Amino acid sequence: MTGATETGVVRGRASTAKTVAAAAVGLSALLFALALAAGFELLSLTGRLAGVPTIPLLGGLLVTLGAAVIAFGAGSRLELVETDPSRSAGLVAGTLFTGIWFVVTGLVASQTLGLGTVGWLAAASLGGAAAFAVTALPREDVGSTVPAGALAGSVGLVMLTGGIGPDWSWSPAGFSDAQSVTVFPRVVIPIAVAFCALVVGWAAAKAYGGFGARGRHLGAYLLIYLNAGSIIAVLFVLVAFVFAKGIDPVMAGVTVGLGVGPTTTLAVDLVIPFADVRLFGLSYDVVWPVSWPFVMNGASILNDVNGVWPAIVGTIWLVVGAVALAVPLGVGSAIFLTEYAERGRFTQVVEVATNALWSTPSIVFGLFGAAFLLPRFTPTPKKSLLAGMITLGFMLLPLVLITAREAMLSVPDEYRDASAALGVSKWQTVRSVVLPAAMPGVVTGVILGVGRIAGETAPLILTMGGGTFVTVDQAASVVDSFQLTLSPPFVTNPELTQATTALPYQLYQLILANVGQSSGIENMDTFRWGTALVLLVVVLSFYAIGIATRQYFRRKLDYE
Amino acid sequence: MSNARHDAATDGSTDTGTATDTGTDVDTGTDADDDTDGHTATGRQHGTTTTGETDERIRAEWTDYEFAGDVALSVEDLDVYYGDEQALRGVSLDVPAESVTALIGPSGCGKSTFLRCLNRMNDRISSARVEGSVELDGEEIYQDAADLVALRKRVGMVFQSPNPFPKSIRDNVSYGPRKHGDVDTGLLSRLLGRDDEETEAELVERCLRNAALWDEVNDRLDDNALGLSGGQQQRLCIARCLAVDPDVILMDEPASALDPIATAKIEDLIEDLAEEYTVVVVTHNMQQAARISDQTAVFLTGGRLVEYDDTDKIFENPESQRVEDYVTGKFG
Ligand SMILES: Nc1ncnc2c1ncn2[C@@H]1O[C@H](COP(=O)(O)OP(=O)(O)OP(=O)(O)O)[C@@H](O)[C@H]1O
Ligand SMILES: [Mg+2]
Repeated sequence: MTGATETGVVRGRASTAKTVAAAAVGLSALLFALALAAGFELLSLTGRLAGVPTIPLLGGLLVTLGAAVIAFGAGSRLELVETDPSRSAGLVAGTLFTGIWFVVTGLVASQTLGLGTVGWLAAASLGGAAAFAVTALPREDVGSTVPAGALAGSVGLVMLTGGIGPDWSWSPAGFSDAQSVTVFPRVVIPIAVAFCALVVGWAAAKAYGGFGARGRHLGAYLLIYLNAGSIIAVLFVLVAFVFAKGIDPVMAGVTVGLGVGPTTTLAVDLVIPFADVRLFGLSYDVVWPVSWPFVMNGASILNDVNGVWPAIVGTIWLVVGAVALAVPLGVGSAIFLTEYAERGRFTQVVEVATNALWSTPSIVFGLFGAAFLLPRFTPTPKKSLLAGMITLGFMLLPLVLITAREAMLSVPDEYRDASAALGVSKWQTVRSVVLPAAMPGVVTGVILGVGRIAGETAPLILTMGGGTFVTVDQAASVVDSFQLTLSPPFVTNPELTQATTALPYQLYQLILANVGQSSGIENMDTFRWGTALVLLVVVLSFYAIGIATRQYFRRKLDYE
Repeated sequence: MSNARHDAATDGSTDTGTATDTGTDVDTGTDADDDTDGHTATGRQHGTTTTGETDERIRAEWTDYEFAGDVALSVEDLDVYYGDEQALRGVSLDVPAESVTALIGPSGCGKSTFLRCLNRMNDRISSARVEGSVELDGEEIYQDAADLVALRKRVGMVFQSPNPFPKSIRDNVSYGPRKHGDVDTGLLSRLLGRDDEETEAELVERCLRNAALWDEVNDRLDDNALGLSGGQQQRLCIARCLAVDPDVILMDEPASALDPIATAKIEDLIEDLAEEYTVVVVTHNMQQAARISDQTAVFLTGGRLVEYDDTDKIFENPESQRVEDYVTGKFG
């Protein structure tokens, strides 16, 4: 490498090798994605991909990948490629490959070759030891490529040669009923391919970085990116799945245009309270320009398209009620605990208790509501919207308290000192400095809590009740039913003591109910999916409102 | 380092304790009566410590400072403990009204602690315990009936590190007056047409001008104060303190994060303030203390007040050898 031409040649060869490594990284990412797709049954394992049967194609790709990585490792070892490897791939990689190869050789020995316990243990130990020797003893370039490449290569070979074909299945012995556990290719192939893609992708990324510190860095990055990507993919698939299943029933019969929608009556009644003198009344009908039957209708035999409006209303009122109860109480207690109470045994006990309360199963909250709330509001115990609100409010309370307290503790003491030094009283300081600074944290807590309670079913079964098929006039009309009375409590709202329904509860009831013909629902399955989609959208909207609120408070604190 | 100072020792025989003992066993001048013939005759008694600080006895008369005019703050025998550790030992001094008093001394000698005693900010540190007395205009502030909120309204403070609120620049300045009800821009008063928006704007401008910040921020008063530079934040804190219009202003190294130009502005400001306010300022910058202060108190290691006198006297002809060493930059 003394002459200029020689350096040029080496550089040229190095860049070819780098291209190979980069292609291997890309290929493993592609394989990982294909494995995910196969796992979600977006890719058929029995079918063909680009004209080639899927399983052998995946196998062939794995073999290619494994060969490429091993070739790169060998090239680096023979100094054909300029790299910067460490002395060894390290103990961690060694241990991991030992484990992997122990399992692989053990499975092959016991299941394929049918060796006995002693036999497969010996074979597995041998495989593990060999893997350890190959990984940890030679230089890093060999140690991290050969075991990984060999793994991908042998798994790929099995798939390529039809060792595992579309009709393959495996029932592990040892279960009492031999047929009780059977593994099919639709499970094995995605897992094996994804795993091999991760391992060999890691090796390829290391190779691309030229091993050493930079290589390890890139290898770790690849693993993190692929994992994060797959988590996001799972989330996305989950939402997309519900959308795909539920969008048809939800969008059925939607029309847009002037005067197509239902009519809402806006009425103003100015009545002198307690005297029953009506000063004037005004009422005006508004016709909505949208008709969205699934969202605006209830369930009725008369409807063309049945809907879940009462359940939407119920869920919204539940969340509003629970938040109205829990947020002031929780934030108030947090202020007391952080700003006023002496830090010590008492605050510790409260902290432990709130944490325990947050982990209390929701059905226990439901039992509490059923035992203590139901008999309180009506002469005979009766499930009601109010009881549901209070139960969910108590479920929400501990989280609001915990997060608000954390948020306030993380407000720097400098702010409090600065305010105190200006001669501002403690309460004023809390209100004008501590709370605004803690607000984003408080809102985060409320978001998380609402996410939980909005989808809660168990406590509602015990406290709120409601039907399976609810007609539109059974929707809770809380605002309209406030009434002023002469005697205490002066304001009554009969609607609050009525049983009503909510989306998660109704979904649960719909799953229990088999037929819906009597209420005019032809296809229960699509109706359920539609309800699930609406539930998802409603919860996500609460989430969006929360994020926007948090953003609002955060912007006030930030200087960007 | 200690060798370098040995030539300054005129009497090695009085060397108290070991070299590592940085003068904590020095008496507070109670034995001054034994040396009635004064320091000029016997020479200064001192050895040297590892920090190069000369070891000597403190005399009561070094901290007796006579002045004409009113006393704003009168501190008597102040001891402060953080847990078991004592941070201030028997500090007594009177701060004259409408003047600038500088506190100087090496790091960790208790200047900030002393300053915090003057508006009872030490009460906010749970481990801190204060003994002794501080009188503000003849009223004892360390008594159970003291109203801390009212006290801190009268004794404002600028902290060592800038601590603006995460609010707009305008809101930072008008925070104090608003909370005290002097400026009212609340929704109700706005609805009633009684809001003080103009008063507020004037106040903000005046305070920011006084703190030499107006020209830099007048076009972005609604921006968040945390977006300002460190030096700008410090001046904002000064403006915020001025807005409350206190009688006494305590400043803990107000210019430590500022460039020479801004420092000069702050120094001018402090001199101007002294016409109406009583200013107590901690500084590490000797020239600054010499330039702006009327009298200077020198604290040395161990939380003792060593000498307190006219600034000119302290810087030109101090009684204490240690103070002379300190102000001439020989240690600390
Ligand atoms: N909150 C506290 N808790 C415990 N000890 C403290 C606390 N604040 C100060 N001290 C101690 O009290 C002594 C004096 O500290 P102080 O902050 O008053 O020094 P200072 O003179 O202001 O120093 P500097 O010039 O570095 O600001 C130091 O030994 C310090 O460790
Ligand atoms: Mg200090």
